[in-house]
Amino acid sequence: MKNTPPRVPTALSRRSFLGAVTATAAVTAANPLLTACSPPSSSPNSGGVATGDALQKVLPNYIPRDVVSPDIPGVEGSIPGFTQFPDNPLTSVEGKPGSGGEYTAMTPAWWAIPPGLGSNEYFQAVNEALGATIDFEVADGNTYADKLQAVLASDSIPDWVCIPGWNLPPRTSEVVANKFADLTDFLAGDKIAKYPNLANIPTDAWRYAVFNGKLSALPFPSELVGNPIYYRRDLFEKLGVEPPGSAQEFLELAKEITDPDNKRWACDDMWTTAQTIFHTPPDRPHYWKLVDGELVHKVETEEYIEALEWCRKLYEAGVVHPDAVAGKTADAKQRFESGETLIYNDGTGAWYEAVNRQAESNPEFDMQAMDFFAPDGGQPRIWAAAAASLYSFISKEKSTAEIEELLALADFIAAPFGTTEHLLINYGVEGVHHERNADGAPELTEKGSTEVTQTYSFLVTPPRVYAKVDHPQLVKDYCAWSARQAPHVEKPLFYGMQIQEPTRYATLFTPFEDLQKDVVRGRRSIADVRDAVENWRKQGGDELRGWYADLLEKTEENSGN
Amino acid sequence: MSLDVRSRPDESASQRPRRARRRTGGGRRETRGGTTWRTRLRRDRPLILMTLPCLAILLIFNYVPILGNVIAFQNYSPYAGGILGSEFVGFYNFQRIFSDPRFWEVVLNTLAISFFQLVFFFPIPIALALLLNSILSPKVRTVVQSVVYLPHFFSWVLVVTIFQQMLGGAGLIAQHLRDHGIEGFDLMTDPALFKVLVTAQVVWKDAGWGIIVFLAALSSVNQGLYEAAAIDGAGRWRRMWHITLPALRPVIALLLVLRLGDVLTVGFEQILLQRDAVGAGASEVLDTYVWYVGIQNGDFSYAAAAGLVKGVISLGMVLLANKAAHALGEQGVYRK
Repeated sequence: MKNTPPRVPTALSRRSFLGAVTATAAVTAANPLLTACSPPSSSPNSGGVATGDALQKVLPNYIPRDVVSPDIPGVEGSIPGFTQFPDNPLTSVEGKPGSGGEYTAMTPAWWAIPPGLGSNEYFQAVNEALGATIDFEVADGNTYADKLQAVLASDSIPDWVCIPGWNLPPRTSEVVANKFADLTDFLAGDKIAKYPNLANIPTDAWRYAVFNGKLSALPFPSELVGNPIYYRRDLFEKLGVEPPGSAQEFLELAKEITDPDNKRWACDDMWTTAQTIFHTPPDRPHYWKLVDGELVHKVETEEYIEALEWCRKLYEAGVVHPDAVAGKTADAKQRFESGETLIYNDGTGAWYEAVNRQAESNPEFDMQAMDFFAPDGGQPRIWAAAAASLYSFISKEKSTAEIEELLALADFIAAPFGTTEHLLINYGVEGVHHERNADGAPELTEKGSTEVTQTYSFLVTPPRVYAKVDHPQLVKDYCAWSARQAPHVEKPLFYGMQIQEPTRYATLFTPFEDLQKDVVRGRRSIADVRDAVENWRKQGGDELRGWYADLLEKTEENSGN
Repeated sequence: MSLDVRSRPDESASQRPRRARRRTGGGRRETRGGTTWRTRLRRDRPLILMTLPCLAILLIFNYVPILGNVIAFQNYSPYAGGILGSEFVGFYNFQRIFSDPRFWEVVLNTLAISFFQLVFFFPIPIALALLLNSILSPKVRTVVQSVVYLPHFFSWVLVVTIFQQMLGGAGLIAQHLRDHGIEGFDLMTDPALFKVLVTAQVVWKDAGWGIIVFLAALSSVNQGLYEAAAIDGAGRWRRMWHITLPALRPVIALLLVLRLGDVLTVGFEQILLQRDAVGAGASEVLDTYVWYVGIQNGDFSYAAAAGLVKGVISLGMVLLANKAAHALGEQGVYRK
């Protein structure tokens, strides 16, 4: 209901009026003038991607820090898990990191917006512990990109801005260069030793925080494997079915369990899953693969076409929930939790959210993640997710002293699991926001659930561990799933690089986003995709390939040294 | 209050010269020009003072932003340079528009939806107003009127959700049909039906609101005319044809001209909310296209240029429609 896009038409037509008069004059004289117009000179950011030594120089050192060892250790990069809370949490930061500064911050929320600073004891308690005030402006995550556009284009941006990787605005290079502070001189190399909790963040995550060859952001480290296929084990058992092991089995199972008469559909939109199963190259900038030494774009691969065809079959079979067909993606969680869909695809965080939400009201609720499979039922091949998924930037307006204070606050916020800081950030104050349960694990109270949402931890987080100690079974399930997938993970091309393409290529991929939706829903054909690919090549796709090929060459040269 | 006291003598003083001028005619106006202007200023000072704030707001929020259209001729970046510092590229962005087949597809689609609505939406408030006007009981009339114009106050998000919940594939009606062993249907995701769907939504939401203007026009019709016509033996239909409709004609013509000027503007929010359901092919209109290109892709200059082109086309439509209205003997929006 909130944040509907602004209604622009009337403003637009009014604004356009006078302009229209000038333009009429222009159009009548169009032809001679049109030939005389000049395309913009190519933007200087094309060479801004740091590789090799240049990249090494700006990266912080990695100084791992063991606070408590996990109950379930990670295997081959899978996520380590904690099933219980340590008896005596450590304190990792001495004293208060802040010196009384007042800052504003902007973070997304895919849940109810928490109360503001004045009426939120959680914010007050954390700020008290920080020794500084961070005043959050929390914005709806589903429309975050639109809000960001307006905020960033204005003259007054918040002091600390979280930008999810998928919301990085067009012209990101320009935004970062003009609006955000360069943190290289504060964090590169051994300078990071001053902030031990930040130094604990793995190097791969930092690599993604390098924009325009400068360390410009604090990364939110992500997990090796993302986007699980969730299913309702409780309902599967009731129906007497097992998770599928191949693309064909998935389709058959979906038909079997769909029952519109009882308001039950097999799945939501499975486009992301289709791409995972068919091993389609991931998203920008990792959407290339090397075939015989040549760069081939995602949309040119057979895997892309196969994923589209498979997904289209799901829609054709009528196993996709009608609201998902209608593009109402925001309600996918609710459809899954209420049993209207039995399979759906979401981020890794969704698992805990759903289990936590349903724990009280539906004790039967049993959500699990399927093991990935190859289309023919063989071993899956999974692309590694980018090592950082969100970034937080500090405004360029801040002075050196202020940036140092903010980084000290970040160091506090990045304290790993098993510390008092981590407990405070994630569970608030004991007795107010959380109570210890029989196993000593903190559980959010009702007040805690409204006030303690992800805000500080969107600014910076410690390396990923799964420490949902209030749901130990979930931790076991999750880590086991992660460990089963990890051996099949491969790194995509350009892994570990933050790449911003020149602006003139920014809209190249856009037609495919609509096309994909149309093709799977049967409104356009695969032939249309092939035409679009042809068009894409002509419109700049081949140029973009050349641009990436140069980058690849540069990367290889540098790593050869 | 002091304003009142001072203005009274002013007013009476000003009335006299005006009347005098009218009587004397145009011949002597030139010599009096200067004094008239000054006296008029003195006479109207309170009124002018009162309109000044509105004028300032109009200037600041409606006219100054027009200058921002200059970005259509730039390679504009709000981050590097802004309006003052961005590079000028002449008509490059317009060149892109004229060579972009997608833009013209979108314009055609916008026009198609717009004319569909013109035919199937525009007459409905008129018909409703006529029907309402024929209800004699004021109580029934008020109730009906309230019921039909309440939906206007619902936001589009709500309206689209209601339609989805009623007519969607998992909606109330489809589900009810399934309960009775009949195949369900999904009206919300069929691109072929999209024009009908959006028009139906507009009718549901705004038809009631649209009747207000027509009702006002109807209420100004001299009831004596009806009586006279009835005495002359005119039946219901004749009375409507010869009295009611002619009374509505200027209003209809005016609204039609204005609507034609807005022909490239169809429900931005309404369509944006349903774009994914039927795909961009059937649903993309100029406003959503500009929004996607400009805001989503950060191509502000292109979007501004598209907005300008839209302005030109709209202006042309208004002029054309106004001419047509004059040709039919109506007042239209303005007359030279």
